[in-house]
Amino acid sequence: MTLNVKERGDHVATFRWIAVRWMETLARWVPTTPETEAKLAFGTHLWDLAQHADWLGQRTRELRLPVQHSRAPTPEFVNFLDDLGATAATDRRVAAFYDCGLPALERRLRAYVAAVDPLLDGPTVRIVERILFDMERMKREGAELRAELPAVAGVDAGWLEAQRARDASLANVVAPRPAEAVPA
Amino acid sequence: MDRSTIGTIQVRGGVTLRASPAREPSLRVVTDQASMAHPEEGSPEHRREILHGDVHEEIQSLEIAAQSLVDFPEAAWELRLQLARQAWDEVRHARTFLRRLRELGGFRGEFPVIDQEWGLVCMFDSLPGRLAVQNRVFEAGSLDVLKQASDVSRRWGDDVTADVLDTILPDEIQHVRFGNEWLARLRREDPRALLQAVSAMSAARAWIRALAPPGEGSGHDVPENTEDRRDAGFDLA
Repeated sequence: MTLNVKERGDHVATFRWIAVRWMETLARWVPTTPETEAKLAFGTHLWDLAQHADWLGQRTRELRLPVQHSRAPTPEFVNFLDDLGATAATDRRVAAFYDCGLPALERRLRAYVAAVDPLLDGPTVRIVERILFDMERMKREGAELRAELPAVAGVDAGWLEAQRARDASLANVVAPRPAEAVPA
Repeated sequence: MDRSTIGTIQVRGGVTLRASPAREPSLRVVTDQASMAHPEEGSPEHRREILHGDVHEEIQSLEIAAQSLVDFPEAAWELRLQLARQAWDEVRHARTFLRRLRELGGFRGEFPVIDQEWGLVCMFDSLPGRLAVQNRVFEAGSLDVLKQASDVSRRWGDDVTADVLDTILPDEIQHVRFGNEWLARLRREDPRALLQAVSAMSAARAWIRALAPPGEGSGHDVPENTEDRRDAGFDLA
């Protein structure tokens, strides 16, 4: 996969949209999750996601898009995130973010870095590398949360596998531009 | 504004507040300040009760910042970024106070807690109203309280707690500062923001008076921390 400037801008803007969506989801979960430690973990990681969105949003300006430009992913991926965000039980919320949402974004960021020229797209690659570095810490802190609060660690394995399978079925999350949409 | 998940309650004085956020069953949540613990001044229990209250206030501040991110998705990105940063600051403060509480033999749930700050601030459905009440009134009040609490802790010989309070204070200055700066900017962009802010502060003051149990007063009767208030952007004579 070789990406031109427009396609790279679309990817970066899509990643930004996803980061903002997760920031908002964690924010919504903070007052509606009873367990203090989970509340504090979500409150910590919404700031990480806000910074990621900000870094990506500064890069969109350099890729011929407006500053802090977001682009919605494919409707299927938006629905997936909506469903993860609608979970109410704390164990599912923890799994939805640390076992599904975070790995889903991480995998796509790694695929992006593998696909672009690290010299030509160096500024984006550096940003993504910083995000991936943060994500390692976020996952570690998610594991620490579950170690401290075993009650939120025992999510139903069948539910989790179903979410992962759904994510795996959504290969490309960058929505095509309207003019490029394939006619039905 | 997303008010779909948390309803309202009516409390002392007929005041309607946003109902409490989700809480662990081990916490004793009360809705009247008269039901809070009142340990003997300066006793070990009193020191733990203060720290216990500090933990809970920081958690409410986290919840308020987070809820504002949810309720005002159209706010300027730079402002949302400040709110997200505030959320993390409040997490760190809550963890720091909780650590100190445990060092003194306390635990979360040891004393009753009250959610009036959340309940009051989240009644306002405009961001200028929230910033005015949360960042300009409550957080600015915390500048005075933290300074006094630090001084008192040192008098009690508790330098560790005093150092914690001194370390948290600059973060709170920043929260007040960005509230002041954004209120000024929002007012320039839309004069209605000033009305929303003034109206919210006026309502908040009336509710705070109504919520105070008889004889306990409602005032913010600690000395004003003028140096830090000035640093936070207040125009003091």
